[in-house]
Amino acid sequence: MHFVTGGAYNGKRKWVKKHYPITSYWCSAYDSARLEAPLEAENLLVVVLEGVEQWVGRLLDEETTPSAIREKMAQEIQAWLEWEKANDKRKLIIIGTDITKGIVPIEKRDRLWRDAVGWVYQDIAERAEKMDVIWYGVAQQLK
Amino acid sequence: MEEGRMILISGGVRSGKSSFAEKIATDLHLQSPNTKLHYIACGVASDKEMTERILRHQKDRHASDVYWETWECAYDVYEIASSFGKKDILVLDCVTTLLNNYLFLRKMEDAEQVIQQIWKDVSNLRKTGAAIILVSNEVVHEIPSSTELVQRYQYILGKLHQQIVGEADSAYLVEAGIPVCMKGEKR
Repeated sequence: MHFVTGGAYNGKRKWVKKHYPITSYWCSAYDSARLEAPLEAENLLVVVLEGVEQWVGRLLDEETTPSAIREKMAQEIQAWLEWEKANDKRKLIIIGTDITKGIVPIEKRDRLWRDAVGWVYQDIAERAEKMDVIWYGVAQQLK
Repeated sequence: MEEGRMILISGGVRSGKSSFAEKIATDLHLQSPNTKLHYIACGVASDKEMTERILRHQKDRHASDVYWETWECAYDVYEIASSFGKKDILVLDCVTTLLNNYLFLRKMEDAEQVIQQIWKDVSNLRKTGAAIILVSNEVVHEIPSSTELVQRYQYILGKLHQQIVGEADSAYLVEAGIPVCMKGEKR
């Protein structure tokens, strides 16, 4: 799994498209897509899950604590990692926008959102084989 | 005409971006002493706080061993481009104040139009053959704002930074006074 992060409007999607020109499934939270469970379709090889912070944000309505959200997201990601592992040709790319470096938000919900996103990104980064931070189109490989 | 060298320097507030930009410019100047240093200041002394910030930057430049020609230019920077040539080294401080001025002084609303306008300023400066060092800010690593204006601001700045970094010879992110070279040759 390849984790790609960085600030908003930094060209993360463009970078992923350049490095993975052929993707068979692009699941984007920005198109209001839900984070789907893996599908066992034969032609599904390169999968991009985009907008992790949005899926985390939506979970704030269902779960009460950041740690419950962390757990839920870990399960969802785990299912995809197993999908990837089952076949050598499969490749999983996860894109998440870094929303954790601003001033502490006034709203409690926003504070919880940041907390949860920070934790989820740590978990994803730990499981990733490769990780890049995109800074205005320039990648800094951290892992 | 041959385009001059372009360098982007970005970072958080009070990270030492301007000082580093001035240092790069000064080093370039000392390498070829027949060059001239110019400081394009886009900030407008709109209130006491901004006046103090401007004064602090002016004081720093006066204290330096080299001579800086200062150009105060809130927007339409392309109009002063004809004053520069290959032997000039420009520091533009900064892209975000320039953006503020287009949004709030000129009251431009269309994001793509603002991007085009700032790009016109930058590319016209480049076309003179002068070396150009652009100072800018990091403003997008926070919780997505629900305010449309903030989103538009971040969108414009992000797109511009991508465009600038894409064409720049080098780009730096300054962290607490320490420049991290993100693109090009480290100085």
